[in-house]
Amino acid sequence: MTWPSWWNLEVTAPFQLGPRELPGRVWTASGCFAYGLHAHEFTAADCPTPYAGLGAVVTKTVTPVSRAGNPMPRLVETPCGALNSIGLENVGFDAFLDTVLPELEALGVPTVVSLAATSPEAFGPMVRRLHEAAKGFAHWHGVELNLSCPNVAEGGHDFGGSPATVARCVAAARAELPDRALLAKLTPNVADIVQLAVAARDAGVDAVSAINTVVGLDVDLRTGRPYLPRRFGGYSGPAILPIALAKVDQIVQGAGVPVVGVGGIAAPEDALKFFALGAVAVQVGTAQMRDPFAAARIARALGQCSSS
Amino acid sequence: MTGARPSACAAVGAVRSNGLVSSAFHRLDVELDLPFDFLPGQFAMINEAGPRAWTFSRPFSILAAEDGVLSILYRVVGRGTAALAALGPGAALQVLGPLGEPFPTPQADRAAVLLGGGVGLPPVFAWLQRWGRPGDHAFFGARDGGEVPWDLLGDRWRVSVDRGEGLPGGRTAFTGVVTALAASAPDLPSHGSATVYACGPGPLLRAAADLARRRGWTCWVSLEEHMGCGYGVCKGCVVQVADDGRIRNATCCFEGPVFDATRLPDLGSPAPVPHAASGDIPPGSCGGAP
Repeated sequence: MTWPSWWNLEVTAPFQLGPRELPGRVWTASGCFAYGLHAHEFTAADCPTPYAGLGAVVTKTVTPVSRAGNPMPRLVETPCGALNSIGLENVGFDAFLDTVLPELEALGVPTVVSLAATSPEAFGPMVRRLHEAAKGFAHWHGVELNLSCPNVAEGGHDFGGSPATVARCVAAARAELPDRALLAKLTPNVADIVQLAVAARDAGVDAVSAINTVVGLDVDLRTGRPYLPRRFGGYSGPAILPIALAKVDQIVQGAGVPVVGVGGIAAPEDALKFFALGAVAVQVGTAQMRDPFAAARIARALGQCSSS
Repeated sequence: MTGARPSACAAVGAVRSNGLVSSAFHRLDVELDLPFDFLPGQFAMINEAGPRAWTFSRPFSILAAEDGVLSILYRVVGRGTAALAALGPGAALQVLGPLGEPFPTPQADRAAVLLGGGVGLPPVFAWLQRWGRPGDHAFFGARDGGEVPWDLLGDRWRVSVDRGEGLPGGRTAFTGVVTALAASAPDLPSHGSATVYACGPGPLLRAAADLARRRGWTCWVSLEEHMGCGYGVCKGCVVQVADDGRIRNATCCFEGPVFDATRLPDLGSPAPVPHAASGDIPPGSCGGAP
């Protein structure tokens, strides 16, 4: 396709994000590419590997203790997206540090580690341990805080909905992360996402990732009940692209903090729209599930178009 | 267990042929732009080509792959397969595969008892094509005589049907479930000297596991499960497995779809015990990143 004349960003060139230089501006989103270990032997005619040109793989969210996740079914496809209720199934922080992170480093996967915790202050010790375990790792670039989980210590309300709590989470992590990028992934399920971005900015993030999934529900007409056992799920895919663009625009205009755009990107044109609004990088999520090369193809396409 | 699995490729394909091979089963042959090999029991994720495809690709067990042409068998069960059935020659598809854990290779001292039900035929069909020996036994079950892809099966397969209608002239079939047909076969291997390879709906797999237990046979089953990604990253297709006496979630697409039946509590063995991993964050309450 013909790329617009305003487009001149080198998405596969290193760029500075806070204290860290990351290798590129097209990333995979948390939860849609596991830990970045599953696709190293995959081949395609038009792309050398699923990791080619990627700026980062944001890992599946790691929690302090391993989680079995939610009962099945966990996914519902809709005409233009999908609902998920995976329940943060993951290997747990110890196993992640012992086995996953060293393998990512050995494979040279540019990594941003997604973390969730049970209280705002718990992020500090997790980040400290991560920092100690990954000392000297060249390919570990930062941390993304998944704030869309309940705050057990404060009645189970999501961290992510309260600016004050977002600030506490960010401050706790920032204190232990002087030399890597720190991102907070913001929920769109609030009245004013800009307040969350401002709180994250003032507490010291290098960027916010926007947006996390949109709360959604679908009904199985055969039973008259929601498809998902937990009723609600996180809505993602092409349907949420305009929502994500709106939230990113609000943050760019109203908070003045770097934004990593995420939500509904499936094609290079989708990513361009985030960059047009001022996003410093983008993440490809749901599209990665049907095509392990989705993000790499977008990076390749945008890389070619900026250089032509 | 099975040796090296062929590497998966993200291929672009063009439909060579796509049509009914029985009253209910469609066969799709796709020409691919990359070399494609597989082991019996593996599957491929198939979708319309390009970034505006269905949100999730659909998993299909591989029937055959020869000379760059991938073949699958499917029944129209929903939006994806209905759209697939409407595609004519030349239509572009994206194919990710081969994926998943295949069936084990034959053991010299054990005959194979192959059990296929409905569109669960491809994995066991491919097993017989690739590794079949004269002493192996192949059984296929369908809902009625019209569903059976007679020309594909040839003479090697013994057939059962739930209902006798639709049988073409000159064809005969056992009336009843396929495991009953197998259990009644006079020439079956003796106690402890066979391995069952099964694919089909849940009741068939439970009956296959039960038959194997009673006869002291090993039993491998290929599970049919809704999948999101097909390559282990989304955790959307977990099944419960028992390892070392503890139940845990395994991704059907990556650790399966082929499992030793004795690891699957849903097939009747062993007795379930609580999950090995229980999180510190209340289950089910997390929105956000999946």
